[in-house]
Amino acid sequence: MNALLPLWSFWVRTSRQWPVLQTLTPFVPVVLLWQAVASWGAFPPAFFPAPMDVVRNFGTLMYKGILPEYLSDSVSRLVAGAAVGMALGIPLGLLIGLSRRAYVALWPVVLFFQAIGDIAWLPILIIWFGFGLTTMAFVIVYTVIFPVIFNTVLGVRSVKIELHRAAQSLGAPPWRILTEVVLPGALPNIVTGLRNGLGYGWRALIAAEMIVGTSGIGFMMFDARRAGSVTEIVLGMIVLGILWYIVDAWVLAPIERATGRRWGLTQ
Amino acid sequence: MKTLSLQNLSKTYYDLYEGSHHTALHDISLDIPAGEFVSVVGPSGCGKSTILNMVAGFIPHSGGEILVGGQPVKGPGRDRGVVFQSFALFPWKTVLDNVGFGPKMRGVPKAERDEIAREYLAMAGLSHAADRYPNELSGGMQQRVGVVRALANKPDVLLMDEPFASVDAQTRMTLQDELSRIWEERRPTVLFITHDVPEAVFLANRVVVLSKGHVLADVPVPIERPRVWDKLVEDDAFKELSNKVLALVRSA
Repeated sequence: MNALLPLWSFWVRTSRQWPVLQTLTPFVPVVLLWQAVASWGAFPPAFFPAPMDVVRNFGTLMYKGILPEYLSDSVSRLVAGAAVGMALGIPLGLLIGLSRRAYVALWPVVLFFQAIGDIAWLPILIIWFGFGLTTMAFVIVYTVIFPVIFNTVLGVRSVKIELHRAAQSLGAPPWRILTEVVLPGALPNIVTGLRNGLGYGWRALIAAEMIVGTSGIGFMMFDARRAGSVTEIVLGMIVLGILWYIVDAWVLAPIERATGRRWGLTQ
Repeated sequence: MKTLSLQNLSKTYYDLYEGSHHTALHDISLDIPAGEFVSVVGPSGCGKSTILNMVAGFIPHSGGEILVGGQPVKGPGRDRGVVFQSFALFPWKTVLDNVGFGPKMRGVPKAERDEIAREYLAMAGLSHAADRYPNELSGGMQQRVGVVRALANKPDVLLMDEPFASVDAQTRMTLQDELSRIWEERRPTVLFITHDVPEAVFLANRVVVLSKGHVLADVPVPIERPRVWDKLVEDDAFKELSNKVLALVRSA
């Protein structure tokens, strides 16, 4: 026990210095288990590749430039889709959150279309727009927009009436109340909506790329199925997981904390 | 600073469940000359906050008139500064930007409104808190900012809705001392709503007692200024007047 103590304190110190270690450590048993199953040999390697096969495949695809290109295709689609989704979703959310009439007129319609999941649009989109970028763009925007609308409405409603009144009696006209009170008050919720929307959007994009794509990570994985390369499929899955972790933990979560916590709006 | 005049003011609500009209305020007439401090006290539900919300223009009145400097009130406006029980500071703005909000809405340039805000913050001993966010301050400090923010916008009338009801008893007395001092320096016209009788008497030139939607009594407070709790807490005239008003409120 005493011998383990210095080891433990070494771990605590290093993991605090390198937070990446804390993220990676939980994957050690996962990879070990994977290796163990592969070495056991119950499945042929063509069906169940070992970790090192995937790493080698990663090296090859990086060297050929296929992976970087597909990755940047997928990410730029997501970013563009998210931007359009926000540009439409935030104003709509503000309108529905602020106006009783807009709420009555639009809310049932919003709920109705939300229920038709992104992928459910694919059959008709393929007929309308064919296999390609327009179809994928529609799917991403469609997926991002609903969480953004819902959370913006929630954010607008969470701004206390006293803050509206304080701004009014300090001489703020309606449009200044929108920019100085409603938007900053709703911002933490809007960021949460964006975080959810990007999460759903990312998954929808991969699905869309598989079905209608001609490039991107989803396309790479589905194309690998045709070529019978399980290694490449597994590589695609791993890339998806890592990329999302980076976007969520290193970009979105810090923004969410920076807005809400500093102001005491969230704990 | 201007006069505030309520003439035959009334408020009726339509009760959706009972399907009938309900009178919250009935024929309230009250004149506050420029530079006078008037407290309104009364039991819960007597309509005192409703009066303030109507004067501030947050809710419409059903009958009568509200005049600020002779001009009828139509909706909220910067001529009537409001201090809220819940402070209502903007959580995403620093103390300095909260206080500078009114001038900002008037189009005062950044440097100039920062100067105004710093001057007013200094008046309340808040200079050190200028760059902090509201949630980093105690309740008492937050309400000092609330008062300063209303004053920095130079309103004609200051409306205060139970402003010290949500701070602890010690802090409350300090804030009352400070408000009294600031009033003596600047002489704003104040409509002060409270359910705390000693507070109402301590601060005001007149105490209006409200009961079931009408004015029960209008009691002048001839206690000399400057007023501080250290002197008044054992003062016989103050105690007698407080007891008199308390008896009125309890009979209400």
